[in-house]
Amino acid sequence: MDTKINELLDRAYNVRKNVLRMGYVDRRGFIAQGLGASDFLTGLFFHAMRYDPKDPDWEGRDRFLLSAGHNAIAVYAAMAEARMIPEEWLDTYGLDDSHLPMSSMPKYTPGIEISGGSIGLGLPIAVGMAMGLKRKNSDSRVYVMMGDGEMAEGPTWEAATSACSYKLDNIIGLVDANGIQADGLTSTVVNTEPLDEKFRAFGFEVQRINGNSMTEVVRALDNAKNSEEKKPHMIICDTVPGTGLDFLIGNPKSHFISLDEEGWKRAFEELERGKE
Amino acid sequence: MNKGVQSVISDSNIITSHPVMAEPFGNALIELAKKNDRIVGLSADLAKYTDIHIFRDAFPDRFYNVGMSEQLMMCAAAGLAKEGFIPYATTYATFIARRCYDFISQAICEHGLNVKIIGGLPGLQSGYGPSHQATDDLAILGAMPDLTIIDPCDAVETMQATAAIAEYDRPVYMRLLRGNRVPVVLDKYDYVFEIGKAKLLKDGSDALVISCGEMTMRCLDAAEELEKEGRHVAVLHVPTIKPFDRETVLAAIAERSCPVFTAENHTTYGGLGTLVASAVAEEKMIADLHRIALPDQYLEAGTLGRLQDMYGVSQKAVSETMRSVLS
Repeated sequence: MDTKINELLDRAYNVRKNVLRMGYVDRRGFIAQGLGASDFLTGLFFHAMRYDPKDPDWEGRDRFLLSAGHNAIAVYAAMAEARMIPEEWLDTYGLDDSHLPMSSMPKYTPGIEISGGSIGLGLPIAVGMAMGLKRKNSDSRVYVMMGDGEMAEGPTWEAATSACSYKLDNIIGLVDANGIQADGLTSTVVNTEPLDEKFRAFGFEVQRINGNSMTEVVRALDNAKNSEEKKPHMIICDTVPGTGLDFLIGNPKSHFISLDEEGWKRAFEELERGKE
Repeated sequence: MNKGVQSVISDSNIITSHPVMAEPFGNALIELAKKNDRIVGLSADLAKYTDIHIFRDAFPDRFYNVGMSEQLMMCAAAGLAKEGFIPYATTYATFIARRCYDFISQAICEHGLNVKIIGGLPGLQSGYGPSHQATDDLAILGAMPDLTIIDPCDAVETMQATAAIAEYDRPVYMRLLRGNRVPVVLDKYDYVFEIGKAKLLKDGSDALVISCGEMTMRCLDAAEELEKEGRHVAVLHVPTIKPFDRETVLAAIAERSCPVFTAENHTTYGGLGTLVASAVAEEKMIADLHRIALPDQYLEAGTLGRLQDMYGVSQKAVSETMRSVLS
């Protein structure tokens, strides 16, 4: 197990490096979120999910839906590490004619299933895909990555109602509870907690974990996959934005970070130091 | 059964001198589903009022009722389409156009997904007041790129269009005529529905009516009435609002030098009349245009017959408008 976890931690380091590489293109972006989400995304892409990097449309794949498209930076970082997209694309993040727009869309990036700029659509679309997979007797799962700020959007709860009513146990949702959103801290903008209790009350099988602990991430994903419960699954991942770079942690402007050349130098150095 | 509710909702289907047919959409969908196992149905607690309940009863395991969650229904339909199914999703047209715009746009149309959205009570078909009167659905949904919009005239066309859109691998919004007594009109005109095609149902040189949806039925009746008075009115039916058959419409106007009426069960803002007027202007044509449409305002509640007279879209009102222009 330790070897497996160590391998995953190496992957997570590479994913973080990819996040910084993309952030460096325009010297700013959703960097803190990307760093915070790197661990559970590593767990998804290198432990839990079934996919063929060379065939993004493979019928037997697990479906991965990024609901809050702003967090595309983290997903692209994991996809590049998984060789689903070429690493060179990272240097074009958010630029004209790039395959990696700021907010993810299927039209631009192979392997991206849905558009996520307007948020709150991920779990609702997952409901239909999960229904469809069951109709086809497929054992593929639908993984949906959402944000805690996004939990203020109503359709997520419409979807939660139907997901439980139709016993869509092939859905595994992950909420990146990073505590920040566009206008500030989620707790002060509008408190969407307690998310675990809310999803449990709707009828989900819920786990709440430290989303920056690889051991907890792996255990939670295994639990959800091995569960016999005829319920959809939700993993609330408490994450710290900026994880991996101490100087970003607690930055009140961490929703959209802008760094000068000195700051970038420090970021790359600090990330590397952290690996050792 | 609450008789009051039933009568308000199906009034439009009862006021007719034509032969009638029950649940043309639901029956057509059942026939379709027998041949194509990719067809599935969804509704948001309005199965019974959108005629999809008979599909539900015929294929219970191919039907999903998501309850009163229209936004979810659009996304779930997108998800089913992504997995290779052909979902027909029904609710009232107001909820589709006003409540679900973002969801239809980002989940369905941006990706050209094969979802069929079926809207009950289009235009003025309910006496409930503005919440149930989709007087603006063509304008709202017409703004969405890559959405095909169909406004059928009667039971015949509803059945033909229900089948035709299944073969058409794109998102479609279709206005629904529903109930136990949907008029059968177009069989007399040797009509075949084709997506994107306007068709001349009746020729004439004293006036040209360009109409869509159930207004075509009323315009045909009005034209027959005027025929007896010696006035020959041509009726061009435009069942596809988007993509708009500009060529056929402009040719029909250019071929005649007579007053041109547009008639739609929709407001004057952003529907068929707007499309015709802008096409005419862009071609630098001169035309004597008259619009028969609902006013750009929130309509009253009340009984449907009275409201249709009041807002000028009943058959009687259509005949009177034409007479006053032609005399």
